[in-house]
Amino acid sequence: MSDTKKFTYYPGCSSLGSGAHLDRSIRAIAPKLGVELEELEDWNCCGASVGHIEGGQLANTSLSGRNLAHAQQQGPQDIVTGCAACYLNTHGAAEKIKSDVKLRENVNEALGAAGLKYDEDRRVRHVCEVIVNEVGLDKVREAVTNPLDGLKVAGYVGCQTVRPFAETEGGGEYDTFDDPQFLDDFIEACGAEAVEYDVKTACCGGSVSVMKPEKTLHLIKKILDAAVEADADVIATPCPLCQTNVEMYQDAINKKFGTDFNIPVVFYSQIMAVAFGMDGKKDAALDQNIIKATKLEAAAK
Amino acid sequence: MTVALPEQATRKYDLGFARWVRDNVNGGAKMSMCMQCGMCSGSCPIGTEMDQGPRKLFMMIRAGMKDEVFNSSTIWNCTSCYNCTVRCPRGVPVTYIIQDLAAKAVEFGYVKKVENARFAKAFWWSAKTFGRTDERLMTAKYYFSFGLVEGMKRGLANLKIAIGMVRTKRMHIGMPHKIKDTKGLQAILAKAAEIDARESKGGA
Ligand code: SF4
Ligand code: SF4
Ligand code: SF4
Ligand code: SF4
Repeated sequence: MSDTKKFTYYPGCSSLGSGAHLDRSIRAIAPKLGVELEELEDWNCCGASVGHIEGGQLANTSLSGRNLAHAQQQGPQDIVTGCAACYLNTHGAAEKIKSDVKLRENVNEALGAAGLKYDEDRRVRHVCEVIVNEVGLDKVREAVTNPLDGLKVAGYVGCQTVRPFAETEGGGEYDTFDDPQFLDDFIEACGAEAVEYDVKTACCGGSVSVMKPEKTLHLIKKILDAAVEADADVIATPCPLCQTNVEMYQDAINKKFGTDFNIPVVFYSQIMAVAFGMDGKKDAALDQNIIKATKLEAAAK
Repeated sequence: MTVALPEQATRKYDLGFARWVRDNVNGGAKMSMCMQCGMCSGSCPIGTEMDQGPRKLFMMIRAGMKDEVFNSSTIWNCTSCYNCTVRCPRGVPVTYIIQDLAAKAVEFGYVKKVENARFAKAFWWSAKTFGRTDERLMTAKYYFSFGLVEGMKRGLANLKIAIGMVRTKRMHIGMPHKIKDTKGLQAILAKAAEIDARESKGGA
């Protein structure tokens, strides 16, 4: 492709575990969208939503500082990540360092212990924002060779992909906090039907669901109820934690509430890989969904 | 490390704790902008699992109710959904304040048994040791922080999930994932802790 744009790609820890299928499908679709991903050298964990508790604010920010310093060494291109929490932390840290001279000084003093420095301002972006603002929907449509006619998808955005940065200048102003359209747009661009889904930015409980699911199962149930009500074949999400939470707790919810949910939860990038005519396993990573997305598998080449 | 906490307020209109929050909690400087409108609590998806919503928690800070604030389940059940933060008409970074209050509660010894504190410990251990979160080892460490029997129970309750994850290659068996330069990372984190200690003493 002539106009390929290069990014430093930060996969995040979930790419090595529960979110492996997000990472795999993003890497697969990127070239089709004219995006070149070069992995961030020796990247480390971003601290997620709890790093500051045990490590303290400065150490937690320094985790992102180390990644930013490596990106600076790697070249002038923007950083991009597909993980909502990595985006939240890394983007948030970069913005804070940008506006707080003292923090920059402290982070750099810490980085100095490993011979690193971060003395510029690097843009940290989300894959979805890049698809909206850089790639554009037209290019997504052009890449579709296997339109997913008849597939009904509930587009579940979750929280941190859009909050608190989607409407900010630094976040690329790519969508709204409460009623984002990008996911439905992706789904429709792939030839599938985006069903009416008003819980799209409801919360799945995030890491509280990991620690204490008994407190949050009712939140996940709402997300499932609405999908079933809308007669969706599959739920699609951009967030690795949402995908895991909404998929793996269906058994526990069925036990607790006497329901019989068994609805597949996939990433938008898996849907794109299938619609782009790519391999259902190797590229779309559909073999990594615990609840099989049978309709999507059937549509895959 | 943070500047020592003030005493619990014993009289009305004691702003000692509110001032401490303003100066020491991430985002705390903006808390004085709060006009108690309740937009945050009304937007919170998990208010039913909280002793009080963010609005009331902020009121308690103003009232100097230090112990009640740090013992509140509110700071532990926040899911970081950022609804409150993006909707607050006064630009108060509600989520950041709540997240940092949780960290301060651990720092000042209020909570040892809370699940989140154990989870945070297990998480940080993995991040610091390997440079990456090993979901598997971290979870095991978290479960067994409750003791052997409880750890087995929690592990078994999630066995089916774990098996599904291994089967779909979303949980690996073998050595933990590690960054190359763990030494460098640990040096950075040690230095950061040192700076924190220095600054809280110097009253930066
Ligand atoms: S958010 Fe999760 S996946 Fe992303 S780097 Fe942090 S711990 Fe790893
Ligand atoms: S929807 Fe869930 S996992 Fe996703 S960002 Fe919100 S709380 Fe986090
Ligand atoms: S929404 Fe903002 S102003 Fe209103 S009560 Fe909450 S913090 Fe205060
Ligand atoms: S960020 Fe926390 S306090 Fe704010 S609305 Fe979400 S769960 Fe409630």
